[in-house]
Amino acid sequence: MKAFQFGSPKSLEQVTAYLAGADGDVRLMGGGTDLLGEIKEGTIQPDVVVDLKAVPGLAFIRRDADGLAIGACTAVADLAADPDVARDYRGLHEAAAVVASPQLRNMGTVGGNLCQRPRCWYFRDAATVCNKKGGSQCFAEQGRNKYHAVFGGGLCWSVYPSDLAPALIALESKVVVASPQGERTIPLAEFYAPPIVNVRKENILSRQDVVKEIRVPAPKKGDRGAYVKFMERGAWDFAVVSAAVKLTLAGNSISDVRIVCGGVAPVPWRLKAAEDALRGRTVSESAAAQAAARAAGDARPLAENGYKVDIFKAVVARAVLAAAKG
Amino acid sequence: MKTPPPIDDAFAEYAELARTQGTQTATPGSTAPAAPAPQPKPDEFKYIGKATPRVDGRMVVTGAARYTHDLAFGDMLIGKILRSPHACADLVSIDLSGALALPGVKAALKLKEGRIRWAGEPVAAVAAVSESRAEEALALIKVEYKPLPHVTAPDKAMEAGAPLVQDQGNVIKSNDYARGDVEKGFKEADVVLERTYKTSWEVHQPTETHGSVARWDGDDLTVWDSTQAVQSIRDGLARALSIPAGRVKVLKHYMGGGFGSKLNLGDYTVTAAKLAKETGRPVKITLTRRENSICVGYRPTAWMTVKAGARKDGTLTALSVKSYNCGGVGRGDRVSEPYSDMYACPNVKIEEFSVFVNACASRATRAPGHTQATLGLEGMMEELAAALGMDPLALRMKNFAAKDKGDTGIPYSTKGLEQCYKLGSEKIGWDRRNKKPGGGSGKVRTGLGMASQIWPGAGAPGTLADVKLYPDGSVEVECGTQDIGTGTRTHIAVVAAETLGLEPKDIIVHIGNSDLPWAPISGGSMTTPSVAPAVRDAALKAAEHLKNLASKKLGLPPAEIVLENRKAASKADPTKAIELKELARGLPRPLPFHGERSNYPSTFAFQTFGVQFAEVEVDTETGKIKVKKVVAAHDIGRVINRQTAESQVLGGVVQGMSAALFEEKIMDPRTGTMVNPNYHDYKVATAMDIPEIVPLFADVIDERLNNLGAKGLGEPGRIPASACIANAVYNALGVHVREIPMTPARVLAALKRKEARP
Repeated sequence: MKAFQFGSPKSLEQVTAYLAGADGDVRLMGGGTDLLGEIKEGTIQPDVVVDLKAVPGLAFIRRDADGLAIGACTAVADLAADPDVARDYRGLHEAAAVVASPQLRNMGTVGGNLCQRPRCWYFRDAATVCNKKGGSQCFAEQGRNKYHAVFGGGLCWSVYPSDLAPALIALESKVVVASPQGERTIPLAEFYAPPIVNVRKENILSRQDVVKEIRVPAPKKGDRGAYVKFMERGAWDFAVVSAAVKLTLAGNSISDVRIVCGGVAPVPWRLKAAEDALRGRTVSESAAAQAAARAAGDARPLAENGYKVDIFKAVVARAVLAAAKG
Repeated sequence: MKTPPPIDDAFAEYAELARTQGTQTATPGSTAPAAPAPQPKPDEFKYIGKATPRVDGRMVVTGAARYTHDLAFGDMLIGKILRSPHACADLVSIDLSGALALPGVKAALKLKEGRIRWAGEPVAAVAAVSESRAEEALALIKVEYKPLPHVTAPDKAMEAGAPLVQDQGNVIKSNDYARGDVEKGFKEADVVLERTYKTSWEVHQPTETHGSVARWDGDDLTVWDSTQAVQSIRDGLARALSIPAGRVKVLKHYMGGGFGSKLNLGDYTVTAAKLAKETGRPVKITLTRRENSICVGYRPTAWMTVKAGARKDGTLTALSVKSYNCGGVGRGDRVSEPYSDMYACPNVKIEEFSVFVNACASRATRAPGHTQATLGLEGMMEELAAALGMDPLALRMKNFAAKDKGDTGIPYSTKGLEQCYKLGSEKIGWDRRNKKPGGGSGKVRTGLGMASQIWPGAGAPGTLADVKLYPDGSVEVECGTQDIGTGTRTHIAVVAAETLGLEPKDIIVHIGNSDLPWAPISGGSMTTPSVAPAVRDAALKAAEHLKNLASKKLGLPPAEIVLENRKAASKADPTKAIELKELARGLPRPLPFHGERSNYPSTFAFQTFGVQFAEVEVDTETGKIKVKKVVAAHDIGRVINRQTAESQVLGGVVQGMSAALFEEKIMDPRTGTMVNPNYHDYKVATAMDIPEIVPLFADVIDERLNNLGAKGLGEPGRIPASACIANAVYNALGVHVREIPMTPARVLAALKRKEARP
């Protein structure tokens, strides 16, 4: 591990002012549950680590007529324990409750969860210089790839593991980003960018941007949600496949639906084909299974991860049914 | 195919120890009895066989217990090892000058020359004033390699033209066993099945990584080592450093697990001692989780093709096994013994091959060989039972062997397996199984499976222990054994307290020091059946002395006196008594009593036995297995401390469950390194995965074996765990996955096999 400077800013303005003039490799840290692992394993060698948890006022969950506002430094555990979230946004609650382990949920932050780096054992390995680290190949494509992407691969077959991102995208959430130029609000669905845009990173943030808060629209009548996460083991595991579903029921019929998956692509993966297949249909096991099968048609598995497509079909169908059940 | 050359690997030494423990003899000229004396009945004991909490439990859970990792001395240096990034290369040159020029670096060593055969092999080492300085120094060592082609997958290594891992070839025959005539036996069979079962590389992953601290005082070397074997590490260090064994002291107070990986002398230990010698300062080397995952062994794989023949009534007529065992650059395990010994079968043929690949040598891993073999043997028994339309338990009973070598050798002194079958099958509700595998319906299927276990565990004759009585009334036990986490201090305290009429907490236990009386490695389930009888022997001598002293004070013959409730008392009239503390005041000086573990007769075979039953749920859409319950019934002779014995079984089942479902060291064929050398990607079961586990003991006391009738338990709980879960999955699905870990990918693939769709 290379020695680095550790910054404990007193305000968000201090952070953005610092970022405006900073050079070298500067990393923002929420709970550090991903960042410290990257540093310790030698994936990255930052010059400066800025501790966002030192900034007062970034940890909150507020509810108003517009919906929910969640501070970037809110602990994942606090989101999981919030009774309003559990009542009004079941999918989000379920996603927060299955993140990693109790210790990691206590340390990890909502902002950090959304900005964590993707999972790929080649990317994470200090000695491997892959496309994502400025190299000229993807080691997973021809290598060991049982956990890798089945959608959206190509330049990079890593998977985006966040549990909160699919749930928040399904809820049409927005991200408030602070920068030296001021604040802006971006739909979370547009926050992530696939490898084809820039293989070195997973979102559109510039090096001067800080995620400040997440806004979740107020629930509408008939809105329901669910999050289903398939892990190999019972805890402290990233999703092999996860699916967040938000749907609106009119009687027994699906008037609107959003399905976003985790663990299957380099970024959170929206299933528009499955949504189209479900819109206007009556909720049933066969409708859910057909929609999942339709989405699975786009999958491009590698040598060792074909089983993920089977799991994907089951998880998507189950998430749709769980959401509909309310 | 050539005969195996001597290869310096972990297994050979360990296997030999495990194999020969039955032929070890007591110290020449010792007074240890050739055979143990008749023993008290279980109900005559107050502590032995009952549950006593760990005497050091509070220290461990409060963090007061000091582990090797916790040690620090004022002037201590930190050592780090530079390792080869290449899986195969010729080492051209090493230039240490850059590292030595860095301020704070006190010494640097070359550790390797010639051919590198695995990624992670030690190349050089430094000692510096801090960990970060040492890491910086490693980056300044210039090494020139000439990379060569490598191979890390056993199937690829067996192909013609594969890069040569060992000079004698990538495949050598490592074992040949035969009795009777298998061809004749298969002809006599009504049903013959042939199946291939596979196990994966399972890394030990102790919570405490390997590490040592070395300190010289003149010519005397003290090493604190996270080890399972203070005595043999002392001897190994003396050899490696060419110094007299009497000048080396190895200490290990507490340890966070080993599971076989810490039986060997570590290159890091020798390196720490050399760096400490060169710098004149203590040196500490602890491995990172990554180094621990890559460089200190794992359970070798076994790819076992098993063919079995049976008559309609279930009688086995022939069993043949061909196993390809891969332990990296080492020879791997031998898996033959469960196949040759477990069931009565006149015709058996076993051929084993070692397959070499470019990975570090495997090491003994909790029941080496037996664990892998049990997956194959017991998988076959379950599939054979289905083919015969028999209850799998009845098939096993039909082929029950009362004698060694599948009923063809010497008789077992005791074999409580029938009792285990009865206890276990009743507890799990064996009748609830699908009478035909795969008989259930729906997305989630349930199943029950079983697997039996055989393992030595007789302990080592010649083990020594001292019981010391002090004039202040305190009692100390000294034994050069070690506690690898199993509760050794507690069982020693239990045996001494029982024998001397004291309470376990009264006993001061000193272990984990190679200067203390000899005890064997803590491997091969040897610790308790070696140490407990030695302590008992010493304590009986001390008790006799106390009774003689009391005899004078109480005016009674010694035979009329009992030691209990911290007193020496008249058997007939308990009011006639004297406090042991008061008796001790008469001692002129601390008085040691020497105890020794006795021999046992060579006309009987001594083994542990057991059976485990598992209940599982399998999601047929996702391939996910949930283990609901495991009942583990074991015959380990007399149980010394029921509480730690139960813990031992729980740990074994959890480890076996974890290996059955999750654990696999995954190698990248291109880089030749492990891709999951951390606690996240190498998946060990979490608390959320652990099922209800019910440990049961047959309590069959083996009076021929030692003065307590106790056998070992370190390994038995681990042996059938993976196999019984695999068999329960078979019972649920009607198709045997036949490879562990049974990941969702493998379960889903098995479900797509033809046989899954009847």
